[in-house]
Amino acid sequence: MGIKASVSLYSLQYQYLQGKMNLEEIIAFVKGLGSDGIELLPDQMLHGTPEPTEETYQMWNALVRKYGIGLACDDVFLNTNMFKNRELTKRECISLIKKEIVMAHRLGFKTIRLVSMVPAWVIEPCLETAIENDVSLNIEIHAGLGFGVKKTDEYIEEMLRLDSPYVGIVPDTSLYMKRAPRVMTNYIAAVMGNLNPDLIKYTDEVFASGTDFFQLNLKSSDGMDPKLRSMIKSPADGFYAANISGYENRRLEELDSLAKYIKHVHFKLYEMTDEGDEYSIDYKEILQYLHDHDYNGYVSTEYEGNRWVLPDHEIPEVAQVTAHQKMIQRYIKEIEG
Amino acid sequence: MFDGNVFIKDTCKNVVEDGKVIGFEMQTHITYYRGIPLSMINYLKVAVDGEEMPEEDIRFTPDGIDWFTLKEMETVSAIKWEYGTPGTVRVLRKGGLSKGHHQVRLTVCTRTAYIPVPLEGNMTRDVEIA
Repeated sequence: MGIKASVSLYSLQYQYLQGKMNLEEIIAFVKGLGSDGIELLPDQMLHGTPEPTEETYQMWNALVRKYGIGLACDDVFLNTNMFKNRELTKRECISLIKKEIVMAHRLGFKTIRLVSMVPAWVIEPCLETAIENDVSLNIEIHAGLGFGVKKTDEYIEEMLRLDSPYVGIVPDTSLYMKRAPRVMTNYIAAVMGNLNPDLIKYTDEVFASGTDFFQLNLKSSDGMDPKLRSMIKSPADGFYAANISGYENRRLEELDSLAKYIKHVHFKLYEMTDEGDEYSIDYKEILQYLHDHDYNGYVSTEYEGNRWVLPDHEIPEVAQVTAHQKMIQRYIKEIEG
Repeated sequence: MFDGNVFIKDTCKNVVEDGKVIGFEMQTHITYYRGIPLSMINYLKVAVDGEEMPEEDIRFTPDGIDWFTLKEMETVSAIKWEYGTPGTVRVLRKGGLSKGHHQVRLTVCTRTAYIPVPLEGNMTRDVEIA
């Protein structure tokens, strides 16, 4: 038991898209990093989901057996906006989630990550199917879409009411950022033009003071911190302000009362430094927290620095994921022995 | 955010059927990181040398099997555009693109599961018709 390192295959999406690595090569690569498991978005690297063909199941299960890789988490989405003219009904949503549970089981997963904003009312009607298939349903708590956002708060409330080992949460470490990702700042400046230096300075001050714009914006009647708004002098500043508001700088202690419901954790990666740490996130602190709260599960590298690479530049997925896994595995060893 | 996925380089060409050029087409990846039913394609747009092509002349196939108009795609929930599989956008236009260089701009916009704003990506490429 203990904390295990895994890689979300989301992190290698461009290797896949650009045909540089196929699914098997990606699994072999992750195995080669010494990682314990993989996290999969079935919609990304399997065809025909949530009802793939028998051939697809056989192909997947053969790969999992061949590489002896652990199955950390299955990332499930709910296409409530499947149609232009209406939202899906409750019955349609419940039916889709049930199909996802059955597929997760057949793929060998025991943990489902439900994407943020999945409505709380899907859980109870799907619980029996989850139990029958031995698959837990866990909402992602992601910066900008997490604590303080109605649908997420409602999900947590419903989770506490049901209090089942089959209903939990997947915190995402975008909630625990000590500073803005430098790759984002550099990208926006390069693509959209120079940013207001006062805006950058103010951002640094806000994060250093232990808060963030998501929380400051929530306190403002018009949805944006007035000082942040006053510093927007160009479209580049506006884009920066919108994006920086999606990163949070919360206290880990807020998770104390929810710790027993943590079934999986997303370890965000924006940029690994030459020193072997993530630029914005203190992973030693987070792993120590998880260890101290008896977390026994996977923590998955989720590389999102890919969004902040200039067009036509090589996306350094392989190097970044490698360095991040090395860091995670180093800290797990240090902390857990 | 997904501009780099749009309009795969060197894929734009005229389409010949029964000896006649009936239009032109190009390939593109999805502006998202996962496959979705075709009904979640919010819109596709094509402009040639600054001129917007009429919406009703645009056709799409996610895999070369079934072709749809934009209007038809709104109800297609059983066929997916898979991530990693290039789709083909065709514009019906008598004579296609004329000989020489053209600035062809493709816009792909998808609705996503949790992001309130649809994800639009676009790419303009210099296309040479020999």
